[in-house]
Amino acid sequence: MKRPISENDRNVRRISMWKYIAKRLAMVLVVIAGVTLVSFFAMYLAPGDPAELIALERYGQDLDASQIESVREAEGLNAPVYFQYFIWLDHLLHLDLGRSIITSDDVLEEIILKLPATIELTVAGLLISLLIALPIGILSALQKNALLDNCCAFFSLIGISIPNFWLGILLIWLFSLTLHIFPSYGYGSLSHLALPALTLGISMSSITARLTRASLMEVMEKEYILAARARGFDEYTVVLRHALKNALLPVVTFAGMQLGYLLGGAVIVETIFSWPGIGKLLVDSIFARDFSMVQGCVLFIAVLFSLSSLAVDILYAVLDPRIRYDMYD
Amino acid sequence: MDRNFKLILLTCMLLAVIGASACIGGEKDETAKGDSFGENSQDLVVGISSDVNNWYLDKFADGDARFVWSQVYETLVRLDSNLNIIPGLAESWETPDNGTTWLFHLRKNVTFHDGTPFNADSVVFSYSDKSYVRQAVLKPIKSVESLDNYTVKFVLQKPMPLPFYLTHVAWPIMGPGCLDKAGNFVKPVGTGPFKFESQTKDQEIVLTRNDAYWGNKSLLDKVIFKVIPDPSTQVMAFENGELDMIIKVPEYDVKRLEAKNGIQVQRKLSTFTDFLQFNCDKTPFNDTKVRQSVAYAIDTKALVNDVLNGVGKPAGGRPYSPNMMYSDPDLKTYSQDLDKSKALLKEVGWEDSNGDGILEKDGSPLNCTLLVSKGAWAARHTLMAQVVQEDLRKIGMNVGIQVLDEGAISKLEGVGNFGMILRTGYFVWGPYPKHFFIHHSKSPYSHYHNETYDQLVDAADSTIDPQKQKELYYALQTFVIKEVPAFYLVHEEKVVATGPSVKGFVITAEDPWLDLSGVYLERK
Repeated sequence: MKRPISENDRNVRRISMWKYIAKRLAMVLVVIAGVTLVSFFAMYLAPGDPAELIALERYGQDLDASQIESVREAEGLNAPVYFQYFIWLDHLLHLDLGRSIITSDDVLEEIILKLPATIELTVAGLLISLLIALPIGILSALQKNALLDNCCAFFSLIGISIPNFWLGILLIWLFSLTLHIFPSYGYGSLSHLALPALTLGISMSSITARLTRASLMEVMEKEYILAARARGFDEYTVVLRHALKNALLPVVTFAGMQLGYLLGGAVIVETIFSWPGIGKLLVDSIFARDFSMVQGCVLFIAVLFSLSSLAVDILYAVLDPRIRYDMYD
Repeated sequence: MDRNFKLILLTCMLLAVIGASACIGGEKDETAKGDSFGENSQDLVVGISSDVNNWYLDKFADGDARFVWSQVYETLVRLDSNLNIIPGLAESWETPDNGTTWLFHLRKNVTFHDGTPFNADSVVFSYSDKSYVRQAVLKPIKSVESLDNYTVKFVLQKPMPLPFYLTHVAWPIMGPGCLDKAGNFVKPVGTGPFKFESQTKDQEIVLTRNDAYWGNKSLLDKVIFKVIPDPSTQVMAFENGELDMIIKVPEYDVKRLEAKNGIQVQRKLSTFTDFLQFNCDKTPFNDTKVRQSVAYAIDTKALVNDVLNGVGKPAGGRPYSPNMMYSDPDLKTYSQDLDKSKALLKEVGWEDSNGDGILEKDGSPLNCTLLVSKGAWAARHTLMAQVVQEDLRKIGMNVGIQVLDEGAISKLEGVGNFGMILRTGYFVWGPYPKHFFIHHSKSPYSHYHNETYDQLVDAADSTIDPQKQKELYYALQTFVIKEVPAFYLVHEEKVVATGPSVKGFVITAEDPWLDLSGVYLERK
C-alpha cells in the first residue's frame, strides 16, 4: 500500500532504508541455501568416483580397493545425495562446516585464514581497475572520435584480449626481474599486492572503460547538461559535478558484478603470484572432490557476493536520490 | 547525512578494509631484491610447487611434500646418490627364512627431534596399523614387533625383498612423540638433519638445523621452502635472487639457465619413465602386432630432443631407467621404423581401402583415443601426445587426443572406454622395479591380462636371491619389449638449479628426495 511521502522527509527515508537492508539480509539466507544446494549436486555430477579420487589424494597411486571402500564409508558417500546434503545443512546450522576430506583441516579455519588475502586482492584489483578505467572512459567520452578516443579504444581491446596468466607473467618479468621494484610472488605487504592487483585491474578495466565512455556520452546529451552550461559552469564542473554521477550508475552495477567474479574467480592470478586466496582453494578442492571444502568456499563466496551486492544497491541510493527503497513497502 | 559525506565515508571504509587486511596478513616486509638476505646468512630458500598438507603417516605425502619430508624424516634403508642400497636408520638386516621374516638391526645413539630415543618401539609405531601404507604397498606385512631395543622383526605373508620397499620417504620413521596424550597428531617428529619450525599455509615451511643429528650435521642454519605453484613464476623468482634453488626446472628453461653466469644447473637420470598404456582388452590394441606397430612408429629420440628440449633419455620401450636394479644392458629397444610398423599392421588385416590415409579392417577405421591428464605434468604431456599422434598418423592410425582431469580419466578407465593413456612413472619410488605390477591382472590400473606375465611378476617379487631376481627381471624386461602391454617413452631426468650463493650441492638420482648434505651459502 503506497503512502504519499514527502521527498524531504529524511527520517522516513532512513527507516525505510534500514527495513530494505533487513529484507535483503534475509534474502542472503535464501541465496545461500540455493547456491549450496546447486554446488553440492554439481559436485556429484562431476565424472569419476568421488571415493576413488579422494582415496588417490590421501593415499597416493598404489591404492588398494579396500582403501577406496573405507573412504566411501567414512565420508558417508554411500548415502543418497540429498541425504548427504541435509547432513551438511544440519552441521551448518550448528555452525560446523566440517573438515577437509583431503587434509582434515577445519574448513572454517582454513577459509578464514585465506579471507584477508582474498578481500585485499579483490578490493585492490577493483580499485585499480576503476582508477584506470574511469579517467580513460571520461577522456574518451569527451574527445569523441579524436586520436585520444581511438587510443583508448585500442587499449581496451588489448586489455580484453590479453589472457590473465600472460599479463601476470609479463608484469613479473618487467617489474620484478628487470626493474626490481616489486617481489615476484608471495603475500604479506603492499609491495606483494602490487603486481597481482595490477594484473587483475588491467584485465578488468577495459570493459569498465568502454562502459563509462558510453554512459557518459549518453548523459552529456541530456538537457540538464545543456542547462548547466547555460548557467555558466565551466566544462570541468559540468562533467564532474553534473554528468559523472549520473553516468556512473551502470558502471557501479558492473563493478558490483566484477566484485563477485573476483571473490571466487581470481584463481589464475592467485596461482601465478602464489597468493593465498579462496579462488585457488576452491578450484583445487573441486579437482580433489573435497566436498566439505567446496561447500565452505561456495558458502563464503555467496555470502560475500550478496553483501557486496547489497552495498552496491545502497550506493545507488547515495548516487541517485530518485532511487528510493521506501517505495517498495 | 549529506550524500557526498556518505560517499566519502564509503571510500574511507574501503581503504580501511585494505589497510586492515594488509596489517593482519602482513608479517615481515620483504623487498624485491634477493640480496635482502643478511651477509653470511645460512638460510637456504628453496622453491616448491605445492604445500605440505600432511605430516603424519595416516596419509600419503603428495605433490612436492616429500622433498620437505626428506629433510625432517628418514627411512630404515637409504640410497646413495646413484641409487645403491645403503644402511639408513637400520645398520643391517637379514632374513633367516628366505624373505618371509626380516630382522632389522637399528642404529644406536640416534634421537628424535623431541629428544626421545630412536629405538625398535618407534619403528613398530611407524609401521603400525594406523599407517596407511600397511593397507597399500606394505599390505603383505603381517606383523611388526620389537625383539629388543634395537631389533625389529617383520613377518610377511609371502617372501618379499622388504628392504627395497623401505627406502621411500613417504613411509618413514616417525617418533611417537608426534602425538599428544589423546592420540592426535601435534607436530612432526623425525630423525632427519632438519627440524620442523613453522608452516604458513600455502606460503612457506621453515626448518631449522638439527644439532643432534646422528650423521654429518648440516652447514645451513635454516631451510625455507617457499610454495610457488606456477613454474614460470618459480624460474623468475629464482633468476631474481628471491630463491636460492628450484628443484624442478621446466624443460624449455634448462638451456637458458645453463647459459647464465653464476647459475648452476644439474641433471641426473631419475627413476621415472613416461609411458603409453594400451587398453589391451579392446580392439585395436588387443592385438599384440598392433601394439608392436605403435612401438615401431613412435620416434622417442625426437620426442626427447624436440619436445623436451633434450631433457631426459629416450626409452624406446625399455620399461625402466638403466640406472635402476637389474637393468638389462643388452635389451633390444625399439627405434623408429615406419616400414616395419606398416608391415605389421598389414599382416593382421589393416589396409587403407578407401585412400583416406587411415587404415580400415572389416569396415571400421583404425581410430582410437589418447587420454592425457590435466594435472601437474599436463604441459609436457600434451606436447608429447601431439608427437605421438603425428607419428601414428604416418602409419595410418587416427588418434584423438583428450585432455581431461583425473576424475574424467578415472571414469573412462573404469569402463575401459579409451585406446591409450599417457602416464608418468609415478608407480616407482626407488631403484627396485616394483612398477611391473601395474600390468598384473590384480592391479586396479591394469588393462592387460596375461598369466605368464602375472607369474613372472609374482615370482620376481617373492625371491630374495639376487641371481634369481636378476633372471626374472631380465625376463620381464624382454617380455615387455616383445608383448608391449605399454610402450615406454622417456626416462625422466631430474633438473635442479642453484643460484650463485649456493655451494656444495650435488644432485642425487633418487626422486623425490632432496639431499642437502654439504650445502652451504656464500652470500655477497
